Amino acid sequence: MERRQFIKSSCNFCLLATAGYFSSILTACSPAYRAIKTEIIDDTIQIPLYSFAQSDFQFVRPKGWYYDIVVLKKADGVYETMLLQCTHQQNQLLPTGNGYICNLHGSHFDKEGNVIKGPAENPLKKYPTSIDRDKLIIHLKA
Amino acid sequence: MKNLILTAVLSTIIIAVNAQQNQPPYRTKAQQLVMTNEDSLNAGISINKTVISGYGSAFYQRDFNIKQSTVSLERAVLFVGHQFSNKISFFSELELENAKIAGGESGAGEIAMEQAFLKFNLNARHYIIAGLFVPRIGILNENHLPVNFNGVERPIVEQLVIPATWRELGVAFYGTASRLPLSYSVALMNGLNSEKFEHGNGIRSGRAEGSNALANNLALSASLQYFWNDFKFQVSGYAGGTVGLNPRTADSLGLHGGAFGTPLYLSEANLQYAKNGFAVKAIFAYISYPEAGKINTVYTKNISTAMYGGYAELGYDWLHAKHEKAQFASFVRVELLDLNASIPAPPKAIYDGTEKQTHIIAGFSYLPLPNVVIKADVRLLHTGPQNAELVVNLPPTALPYRQNNQFLNIGIGYSF
Repeated sequence: MERRQFIKSSCNFCLLATAGYFSSILTACSPAYRAIKTEIIDDTIQIPLYSFAQSDFQFVRPKGWYYDIVVLKKADGVYETMLLQCTHQQNQLLPTGNGYICNLHGSHFDKEGNVIKGPAENPLKKYPTSIDRDKLIIHLKA
Repeated sequence: MKNLILTAVLSTIIIAVNAQQNQPPYRTKAQQLVMTNEDSLNAGISINKTVISGYGSAFYQRDFNIKQSTVSLERAVLFVGHQFSNKISFFSELELENAKIAGGESGAGEIAMEQAFLKFNLNARHYIIAGLFVPRIGILNENHLPVNFNGVERPIVEQLVIPATWRELGVAFYGTASRLPLSYSVALMNGLNSEKFEHGNGIRSGRAEGSNALANNLALSASLQYFWNDFKFQVSGYAGGTVGLNPRTADSLGLHGGAFGTPLYLSEANLQYAKNGFAVKAIFAYISYPEAGKINTVYTKNISTAMYGGYAELGYDWLHAKHEKAQFASFVRVELLDLNASIPAPPKAIYDGTEKQTHIIAGFSYLPLPNVVIKADVRLLHTGPQNAELVVNLPPTALPYRQNNQFLNIGIGYSF
């Protein structure tokens, strides 16, 4: 192997390794944003409780909806849900490290769904939950 | 190339509209659940899902150099939005500046559409908008409500380098990644008009703002936002042609026309951090305009080939620890900008030291609620020296130029 080719290959390897390292770091330090897709049956959606084995929160996307629901498992074992729809002009919300933001007009909600920055005035919509054996039931029409 | 892009854009819109038309005429169970009438009322909108909201601001300013105070109802903006279906919505912002419109009066206000676009939801994380919109460039352009930034005046860098509120006509795609907290956008819109550029305000006067824009020239912008713990990072870029004249006129003036002829490039990076009452914002923006010399020759302008600006802001909410709804944030912001960082070789441009500026702003924002703000600040301004070649009225006809000035600002703002 020529010297030039060796240096080039080594540099490429280092770059790939660095990119891989930072990619895994970034993924680990950021909220995973993978949504569980689910059907709506009798105005409820069901998600298995083992979904919370690795993380205390999950994003759920009911089929046919244009908004995700975030489900939080609190320290006392209670599950809380919030619709990621801005209460100002119904835009989709983006999860951040410390809450949810709406890029349309800049509304900011904390992790509990309370308004931190306007123009939104109302907190995020929440749905009641119940547990049926190994499933979490989210009641959409209650 | 231009035809190809236009075809792609039109196809995208047609696909989105067709997707809507192919839907059943009634709302599905899921759609009814997302936006019941009860929800609409809770969200402050009527049964037919039309939303009315808005924002506004008023200020008092004292210019200590010329010993002049002014007050103005700076902005009163009305949002009107309508949800046609869960898939298609309309959003608009109608702005009245400085309280009234008076024909022919210098300094009178203006009434303008800040935004008016249709939004087509593709799914929970992707949508397309088409119409008059503000592309995602910088911090303030997209989020310009007075309750969401410190200081009575909008940051100077985001007025002169990034000309917020910068809106153009076009189409844009927004999305969020599945595996990372990464959102992105791509926009295609009409380009800037180089004939309107003015010395002293960067590229601001070249915006068409949706009003009879020349559209032979186009512009592309793209952005990436990444959320990591309490940080938000963003990079964005803009590239667009600045000569929208028809080919015959452009050729006769010796200018490069076409979609991306006589290009202007803007790149920007910013970060925001917020935790435990502390808030940090920092941004840097750079504009490159390689053929500024030609524009100066043709239109007798004094435009630069490069401009830059940036600011850093640190704020602290003294009420954060009390977990109250009210916020009382003090802040300090330092802004640096140079609108003639690089100029075409003389005689095609003349350097103007007054366009190299430093602003130091310190003050507070009190928000009894997240939607109402009372602000006050002091801005210290320092500029480079005036270039004698650019002075039309010499002293004593005009007052000698002072490189330092101070402003006192007091203001109120609201959004709902």
